[in-house]
Amino acid sequence: MADYFIHLATIIGVWAILAVSLELVVGYAGLPSLAQIAFCGIGAYTVAVLSTVCGANFFVSILAAMLAAGVASFLIGIVLNKFRGDYYALGSLGFNVIIFSVFLNWDEVTNGPLGISGIFRPEFFGIDFYGGISFLILILLVLGIVFVISQFIVNSSFGRVLKAIREDEEVIQAFGYNTSFFKSVIFIISAAMAGAAGGLFASYYTFIDPTSFRMMQSVFVLAIIILGGLANLYGAIAGSAFLIILPEILRFSGFPTDTAAQMQQLVYGLILVLLMLFRPQGLIGEYKL
Amino acid sequence: MEIIWIIINSIIASAVYGLVALGFNLAYGATKFFNLAHGAMVVIGGYIFYGLSQVLGINPGFSVFAGVAITGFTGWLVDRLIYLPLRRKKASNMVFLVASMGILAVIQSIVAMVFTNQFRLLGLNIQVSPAIVICGYSIMRVQLLMVILTLLIMTGLALLLRMTLFGKAVRAISDDEEVAKMVGIDTDRVIGQVFFIGSAIAGLSGILIGFDTGMEPAMGLGLLFKGVIASVIGGVGNIYGGIAGALMLGFVENFGIWKLSSEWKDAIAFSILIIFLLFRPQGIFKK
Amino acid sequence: MAIIEINNLSKNFGGVRPIDNLSLKINKGTITGIIGRNGSGKTTLMDLISGMVSADAGAVIIDGKIMNDKKPWTIARAGVARTFQTTRIFEQMTVMDNILAVIAEKNVFASLFEKDRAHYLKRAKKALMRVGLLEKENQMASKLSYGQRRLLEIARILASDARIILLDEPFSGVHPAMIKIVAEILQEMKNQGKTIIFIEHNIGLVRQLCDNLLFIPGKRLLPVCRPRSES
Repeated sequence: MADYFIHLATIIGVWAILAVSLELVVGYAGLPSLAQIAFCGIGAYTVAVLSTVCGANFFVSILAAMLAAGVASFLIGIVLNKFRGDYYALGSLGFNVIIFSVFLNWDEVTNGPLGISGIFRPEFFGIDFYGGISFLILILLVLGIVFVISQFIVNSSFGRVLKAIREDEEVIQAFGYNTSFFKSVIFIISAAMAGAAGGLFASYYTFIDPTSFRMMQSVFVLAIIILGGLANLYGAIAGSAFLIILPEILRFSGFPTDTAAQMQQLVYGLILVLLMLFRPQGLIGEYKL
Repeated sequence: MEIIWIIINSIIASAVYGLVALGFNLAYGATKFFNLAHGAMVVIGGYIFYGLSQVLGINPGFSVFAGVAITGFTGWLVDRLIYLPLRRKKASNMVFLVASMGILAVIQSIVAMVFTNQFRLLGLNIQVSPAIVICGYSIMRVQLLMVILTLLIMTGLALLLRMTLFGKAVRAISDDEEVAKMVGIDTDRVIGQVFFIGSAIAGLSGILIGFDTGMEPAMGLGLLFKGVIASVIGGVGNIYGGIAGALMLGFVENFGIWKLSSEWKDAIAFSILIIFLLFRPQGIFKK
Repeated sequence: MAIIEINNLSKNFGGVRPIDNLSLKINKGTITGIIGRNGSGKTTLMDLISGMVSADAGAVIIDGKIMNDKKPWTIARAGVARTFQTTRIFEQMTVMDNILAVIAEKNVFASLFEKDRAHYLKRAKKALMRVGLLEKENQMASKLSYGQRRLLEIARILASDARIILLDEPFSGVHPAMIKIVAEILQEMKNQGKTIIFIEHNIGLVRQLCDNLLFIPGKRLLPVCRPRSES
């Protein structure tokens, strides 16, 4: 029983890291990115390949995952910076699909639809994180670091500039800020965090395949931060907990297990619609879409 | 001779994308936002047909009619329940986009729960010889039907928009919704009808695609994307543009995978999208 | 001496040519008014100087350096600040944040690790106090009235310490008491040696405040004559 709760908490933790990372880009900088799960996937596959092919140390793999996601986001960000609003969202979706295509088709590296298995759970500094509770502690540690860094960013002058970009990019440009640069930097930081989440995800499940990184998953992360409230880091965490726990409660009240994933999708789809209609600022948000 | 085969495949692909683009463009013209829920309409049409004709054994002809009508009605309902209130609140484009994503997620999950995620090919139980032969090339009836219907619907829509009072109202709303209201057009009612028509077309395409390449609940998004790409290439909101864009997309995809393997189709399609968004977001045709 | 030099500047949109071969020099420490009918190209000129729009021909030279091909932020860092025809403040940020956002570090990495926070805070408070918005410093900008928004924009300009200030219809829609405040601020800025260019429809204000005026479409800067008792 305790195992179940530990598992749930771990899942919430991974999604919370993703949510916090997306919050920086969507909630603060106002960039409607739907590519987050792609960066998560890049991180996951990097760790998967490094650990199964090279047997690399976990810590190194995670850093590599963040680097890979960061580089990809740098290139993608340069293109996306030229778009605004719905076209930005559309473009980011496009990149998500392209990257998913790569996961699905680059058989030599990613093993295509079969996925990669046999990823091992980490061990470093002599401590092993194989067990459920120790992995949870690892996740919470990473979440804590990500959260602290994000708080630092949003409370700084940099964070204020991001909000100004969100409000009126032309005006903040007219006051001397190279907004493309600011946008790129936050995009890369966010992607690196997502990459780390992906690496942890791969390590936890010891198996990954492309289906975890489809566009609907990006919509899910977006739903989390809109529910929790945009421009509020605590909201990102609250939203993750809510959207993971709620379908589980529904599952216990009698819906068959094999439709669990659909149930979750139904729930967050419905929540998105209801939020847009009645409460666009989410639970504790400071910014309305 | 392989080239002819690629051309045939390109045209058939263009028909599929074109059908999706037609309904999408019609609604975009009137509402100016990317309605991702349009993809869900494609799925609904196909599965209603399946449910009626193959599960309940109802006459296929009637099932097609019912599928198209119910999908149209669903589109109208979505507009009335969700998009209309958002229009009243003067919601931003992003709000509409996000709401449409939610609707897509909801519909897709319901279809998956009722019919499971299993991939289905329609028409296996229907005793109709599938293929006809033209110039030595074997083409499925349904594919020929798709091409013909795309052209028919495109012409029909163009005539509707140009000749009828309804069409004039739609064009007026497309130009400026506020002004259209001021001259007395009941914009909400007209937009509702636009969604009905657009969704009905989507539903029909879902049925046809179900016969051609089969269907699964998650197919809505992928098809919608191809429709969106075709629309962007041709100029969003432009009916003819959507077809032209679909043609270009179909051809580039099929000629592209001639040299690469077929799995890279999506990557090719989205690269075209990015290129157009970067260099010519208004599309090939000026509105 | 001329702080802004405009040489043979031209800009056309489609068939319309609002700025056509314009050449003039604006001296440091002066107030220049730009008047003209709606749509005649006044805002276009402002856009050209601030870098929001690129010229088709000619040059804008600020402080001896050619600036018309530079990005808006580069021009801003050269000491130029502007307002816009419609009020454009950061709605979902506080009044104080609206000021702080534009005066703090411009460099990405410096802004992450800002030092000197107290200094910027002081500058912001001073600007807010001057326009009378200090009590509202923690209020969400979206709650401000139209006149208060105009004042917030002026406060941004004040706090930014820019040397060249472009104002697009700063008095439009503002009631008389506030007009007085803004006019006083403009005079103060002039006395501090700043160069001001503003677009205005109210001839009386132009006559009261400006040293020179430019009539668009026109080719020359005309001095504004004031009877001795007024200046």
